[in-house]
Amino acid sequence: MSVLREMFENLLSRPITILYPKEKVPVPGAFRGRVAITDEKCIGCSKCSLVCPAQAITMVEGQREVEFKGKNLTRKKRPQVKLYKCIRCGLCERHCPTGAIYLKNELSCSGTDREMVVT
Amino acid sequence: MPILSTAVSGRRGSDMPEVVVSIGPHHPALKEPVNFKVVVDGEKIVRLELDLSYNHRGIEKAAEQRDFVRVLPLMERVCGICSHAHSTAFAKGIEEIMQLEIPPRAQYIRTIIAELERMHSHLLWLGVAAHLIGFNTLFMWTWRDREAVQDTVEEMSGNRVHYGMNEVGGVRRDLTPAQVTAALGRLPNLEERINKYVDMVNYEETMLIRFRGVGKLSKEEALRYGTVGPTARASGVDYDIRKDDPYLAYADAPWSVVTDTNGDVYGRTRVRIWEAQESLKIIRYCLENLPEGPIRVPAPKHAPKGEILSRYEAPRGELAHFIRTNGTDKVERVDIRTPTLANWTSVAMCLVNQNIADIPVIVAAIDPCLSCTSRITLLDKRTKRTDIISFDDLSRRMCSRDHGQE
Amino acid sequence: MNMPDPIYGLIYIFIFPGFLFLFAYALFLAFLDRKIAARMQQRVGPPFFQPFADFIKMLGKEVIDPAGVDRAIFDAAPLVALAAVITAYLYVPIIGNSPFAFQGDLVVVLYLMSLPTLVLFLLGWLSRNIFSAIGGIRSVTQLFIYEVPFFLALLTPAMMAGTWSISGIVLWQQKNMWFVFLQPISFVIALIGLQAKLERTPFDIPEAETEIVAGPWTELTGRRLAIMDLAIDVSMVVGSALIAALFLGGPMIPWAVTPIWLEGVIGFFLFLAKTLAVLLILSSIEVATGRIRIDQLNDIGWKYIAGASIVQVGIVLVMNYLWGSA
Repeated sequence: MSVLREMFENLLSRPITILYPKEKVPVPGAFRGRVAITDEKCIGCSKCSLVCPAQAITMVEGQREVEFKGKNLTRKKRPQVKLYKCIRCGLCERHCPTGAIYLKNELSCSGTDREMVVT
Repeated sequence: MPILSTAVSGRRGSDMPEVVVSIGPHHPALKEPVNFKVVVDGEKIVRLELDLSYNHRGIEKAAEQRDFVRVLPLMERVCGICSHAHSTAFAKGIEEIMQLEIPPRAQYIRTIIAELERMHSHLLWLGVAAHLIGFNTLFMWTWRDREAVQDTVEEMSGNRVHYGMNEVGGVRRDLTPAQVTAALGRLPNLEERINKYVDMVNYEETMLIRFRGVGKLSKEEALRYGTVGPTARASGVDYDIRKDDPYLAYADAPWSVVTDTNGDVYGRTRVRIWEAQESLKIIRYCLENLPEGPIRVPAPKHAPKGEILSRYEAPRGELAHFIRTNGTDKVERVDIRTPTLANWTSVAMCLVNQNIADIPVIVAAIDPCLSCTSRITLLDKRTKRTDIISFDDLSRRMCSRDHGQE
Repeated sequence: MNMPDPIYGLIYIFIFPGFLFLFAYALFLAFLDRKIAARMQQRVGPPFFQPFADFIKMLGKEVIDPAGVDRAIFDAAPLVALAAVITAYLYVPIIGNSPFAFQGDLVVVLYLMSLPTLVLFLLGWLSRNIFSAIGGIRSVTQLFIYEVPFFLALLTPAMMAGTWSISGIVLWQQKNMWFVFLQPISFVIALIGLQAKLERTPFDIPEAETEIVAGPWTELTGRRLAIMDLAIDVSMVVGSALIAALFLGGPMIPWAVTPIWLEGVIGFFLFLAKTLAVLLILSSIEVATGRIRIDQLNDIGWKYIAGASIVQVGIVLVMNYLWGSA
């Protein structure tokens, strides 16, 4: 009987489907989305590359002067993330000493190039 | 490819020709590939052969090559529904070998995520069981209510499956007070819906007709075939790792083990939905009494030499991780015994003399998670044959290999 | 029985309220059924042209013949099913009485509506495939179980009205009461029987998706599937129109209205309203229940449903004796 009553109550009320993409889905702040790198903060320590379980991060040439804990360093390399290999586990964000690599709130985009990278 | 087969015999068929209905590996009744070769007589099942291991991925071998930071995401991805179970069992085992004491706040957070996972798994199971008997309305409704659990988990951990909360030494991220309040705010509505499902399971005619008396397992049979989890508890076996061998915060929270005496699919349904109610109590207690403090302790890079059997009550039953370390920063051997593997024998046994129409119901009643199940590989590449080997054969081969290494 | 003017006859058969209207209405009822079921489950449901779009799409898909299967029968069988149900449609009153009515057309309609089930059995048996064979056998078993109470339930209005013609029964109801009040047990059994004939939950045992893939529908592809689907949708229209005519008074209003064309228009809208009411009941049954097993259907069918229909026949005989037949 409770099934019948609920059925007819539902018939007279709005569906709970969110009509994406017309209506927006609320995304929580802690959502693990696309990888992003802030170039100014990266010191080239390669920790992200070592810790990535999917081996999606490679270090490439990227000379830059950065400041870390009051000292001026010359970093030699910077990370490059293969976007479609990334499993968005967040270990790189967890182990980065400066917070240069992090996961944004937005979804990984769709594209046609499998080798697309984020630097 | 079929590797481990069990042949189960019912009554010997008369001189009628045997009709073999092959359920699987691709079949709408199954969520994952498994092959039941069912020999039927009209609509009754006479004999049954079972082929597993279509989903083998080599995770145990891959885990030997990753150090303790990188191996946890791998362990998470053994299964989608019980991912926190595998990752926590492994992290717990490693922490015990390293003799690390993780802070109470981390224990509570791990418990909260574990119980949220149990609730989502049981609600999912209820929907799938309803779908298998054609009752699509209950399927849609339970999955709608499961969204509340998924929203909570997404707020806390960032993802709806594969939560990534564990690391060796504690928990990776903390719960902010806003998240705790939001989670507590979702609980009353969820509680009301789950109470409605408890009613529905006990009084809804179609479910009662299809579930009662189907796939009955007595208590002695359940113990003899080694069933674990809600399948065993529905037959009256009082075995729950959370009470018998407490870990995380289960000793603090007020809850009780759920058992039932009908051993059939109806009993298993009741056990699971009551367990969801108990999980809600545990979550509420842990959220309200979350202790302050750090969420992790620094873990050493190398683990001392040792062996440990880490047990955990996954939503499907007792999950056992056997871990052997040898002083390096990687494990030497990890062996995963999943609850579904323990429950398959009972499925094969209680399918005999049932109808074809009951096959999906009985298979779904143990909540099979075949991604967890395939853990045995034996290939004969030279002769390109697959063999049915007996258990004695298998243990002889395993022992000789181990002795060779030492 | 007077034959109408040939031109009007052709318009009646092919355009309105003939086959063109029938196909449009069948697809519309299929949409409504899915929409109501979806809203009851708090989903959105398909847009109104969905069954029409499915039909067109399916006509264009590739036809796959499994090895060793008789292609001629596979091509012809869905057409036979469709032809049977659209012929049955001609005898059901839609705007006033059917111009092709004759004594005994109730029996003809009932037999023509059983043809799709036999076609499904044939297709299930001839697809060389264990799932289809099991589905076909279940289909015929279900036919045996529900057919007796269904026929008896549709017989009792004829017994009380004293005529074998559907249009005659509708005329009787116009002068007296609707049969849903006089014979409620028959009404309930007729609805159950119609749900079983259309193979919808809780009686969708032959097509149990989670147990035997798709039963006899497994090997139907392309235009064969489109035509068989359309045959089932059309039999939904014919079945609900039959129940609306036999129990809910059909497209007649209890008082005469001049001019004649206004009576026809009002009758048509009554027909629409009554068939929609029957569809609402059938959809609710489909949403509220799950599938039962064939041996359980055997139990329930012979114990309760057949018993109830025989009780109803007895009651009708007593009522006829006490009050005479009109």
